[in-house]
Amino acid sequence: MRVQKISEKNEICTFMVGDAVCGIDLLKISEINKNFEITSVPQSKEHIKGIINLRGKIVSILDLGKKLGLKDTEIDEKSRNIIVNSKNEDIGFVVERICDVVSAQQSLIEAPPSNLGKISGIHFTGVLKTENRLIGILDIESLLSN
Amino acid sequence: MSQNQEKQTSLRIGIDLLDSLMTLAGELVLSRNQLLQGISSGDSGATEFSSQRIDMITSQLQETVMRTRMQPLANTFNKYTRVVRDISVDLGKNIELEVEGRDVELDKTIIESINFPLEEIIKNAAEHGIESPEARAEQGKNKHGKIKILAFHDAGQVNINISDDGLGLDLDKISEIAVSKGVVSEKDLSMMTPEKKLKLIFEAGFSMSSDDDSSRGNGLDKVLKQIESIGGVIDISSKYLKGTEIIIKLPLTLAIIPSQIITLENQKYAIPQVNLGELIRIPVHEIKEKINVVGNAPVLRLRGELLPLVDLADLLGIEKKYRDPVTGEELPDRRKNIADRRSKKFFSGKQGEINLKENQRKNSDRRMSSESAINIAVVSSGTFKFCIIVKELNDSEEIVVKPLGRLLKDCTAFAGATIMGDGKAALILDIANLAQMAELSSVAKITKDYEQNDADLLNDKKDADSLLCFSNAENEYFAMPLEAVERIERIKGSSIEYAGGKRIVQYRGGTLPLYELSEIFDAAVMPEREIYEVIVLKLNGFEAGLMVSPPVDSVEVRAEIDKETLKQNGLKGSAIINEKTTLVIDPKEITGIFLKEMA
Repeated sequence: MRVQKISEKNEICTFMVGDAVCGIDLLKISEINKNFEITSVPQSKEHIKGIINLRGKIVSILDLGKKLGLKDTEIDEKSRNIIVNSKNEDIGFVVERICDVVSAQQSLIEAPPSNLGKISGIHFTGVLKTENRLIGILDIESLLSN
Repeated sequence: MSQNQEKQTSLRIGIDLLDSLMTLAGELVLSRNQLLQGISSGDSGATEFSSQRIDMITSQLQETVMRTRMQPLANTFNKYTRVVRDISVDLGKNIELEVEGRDVELDKTIIESINFPLEEIIKNAAEHGIESPEARAEQGKNKHGKIKILAFHDAGQVNINISDDGLGLDLDKISEIAVSKGVVSEKDLSMMTPEKKLKLIFEAGFSMSSDDDSSRGNGLDKVLKQIESIGGVIDISSKYLKGTEIIIKLPLTLAIIPSQIITLENQKYAIPQVNLGELIRIPVHEIKEKINVVGNAPVLRLRGELLPLVDLADLLGIEKKYRDPVTGEELPDRRKNIADRRSKKFFSGKQGEINLKENQRKNSDRRMSSESAINIAVVSSGTFKFCIIVKELNDSEEIVVKPLGRLLKDCTAFAGATIMGDGKAALILDIANLAQMAELSSVAKITKDYEQNDADLLNDKKDADSLLCFSNAENEYFAMPLEAVERIERIKGSSIEYAGGKRIVQYRGGTLPLYELSEIFDAAVMPEREIYEVIVLKLNGFEAGLMVSPPVDSVEVRAEIDKETLKQNGLKGSAIINEKTTLVIDPKEITGIFLKEMA
């Protein structure tokens, strides 16, 4: 049971990954941008799209969908990079579409299921049930480890 | 022993440096304001003027910031006195440590990286180098053994020499151990110079101890790797029973390196200049002559050597595309072989046939178009020299090295990344690791055999000279051995300055003295030009530029040098190259002339 204790009320930035809606604690997000001048890195793992120049820093960009077991995310006008900071390093994820920021109350977050649609539940800390959908809250450190 | 000592998170710098930085920042702001104003008012004169100012201020800013990171070696060296004393006491020896060059400064990151290698070398010298007082007395040596550390600046690099007057290295014993531990084969060993044999002690797997305990690893192997990882080189010389000297050369700063930019399948990559030998373009009709096949591997014939040829795109798993000359669209390139079907082939032992797969060629023979000329970069990583095929050669640039994130640390093919002028990120190639990835050690063994036995190659080595040809005034042709040429630059006549009666130009953060050929030889004065070709020579540790006229070209010739008819001081003689009488310059002799000039 890995229900993560977040603060009483916190905001979750939600976005589409394949058909599923996922979310990340807003406070963990450094920025969201459309910087897609990605230089691919040969020999890197499949889910790593490459590196970008973020105001002078080299930042690795992952394909979030691919990392979660879906197919390659195609980049179009709606795609965005979500940049988070993990262990003192900026790392980015490409997502298909950013949706709303949702306010979540701790009490409404439940334990993660074993699957969220086609995605394995391994990297989630919990799910938030809203009126119309189920939002899988992602565990960034877990995503970025191994 | 831990190699990762605690990294400092703060440092001391002088207030004067901070003041310089403040002043430069202020000037930068002013120039930026001028630039913005010039742009918005459409005043191109103001724009040009302020952009020149910004150019200069940026260089000065870069230099000043770099200086803030420079720390004296004293802090590092001071620790070693204790290290040596402890070992002396433990082993009952008498060892004195002499240190010179404590004030020499190095970039903070390099100093952090140099600590382990230096300490390891000093420990080695104390433990294995210096003999016991009794043994020394027997040899008639002073009872006190001496280890000396000497640090000094030399031509853009910092040298650190560690010498001792101990046992020295027994070349025969080293050779024997190297072969018995499988570090090198008998055959390879027999072709090594004494200097190369001495360097065997740096190989992984080498150990002077007789036990088979390979789990301890070779400390010197780690030393070599660490020094190479910061862009340094290490050399060793020794006289058995007299002593040993280890010479380390380090770049002044880690963060900015000169590099050659290449393009591979629409992306740019950087090859650090320190790894780059030369750049070659092989036109289609020369492919079968210059590219041979050894075993299964294509090699390049270059002045008597057979160098393994690596297709970088294949090695890295990058999909190759080519532009169809008719439709202009990009299609995957399925051509697998670099060598021409008619290329000379060597077989490794067995009489076998190489099954060269014939590709599916389209209507026209693609090989015939000029698109199929091959661009090659000759690179080396200290141990291996080889060639990389690249799609396009771009400029040489000084780039800022930035680390790749932790998610990419397994991508050993790359040493880091940088940001190009157009804002895109580009990867920096790690030549040493690429050599490993291409498994060049096996190719090297085979090619060595053939180099020795191929009569053509031996002829190549004997007679061919690589010369750089250029002109002076009209109808005056000169040439110079390519190996003496550091770089070829183009400079604007307007940027030439005169200081103290000497002609100079601001170059790469310093000044480069410039000479016309008429000032050295009996030749005509060159007419004034807007743009000069300058051949930058490195002579005895300093750089000088020769102003010449185009075309500047490199040729490989087996020309007879006539040493008498047109002989002058500074010339080797004359030769007929491309049907023109060409005066061939002797770099060593003109060094003498330059040195006199500078005195």
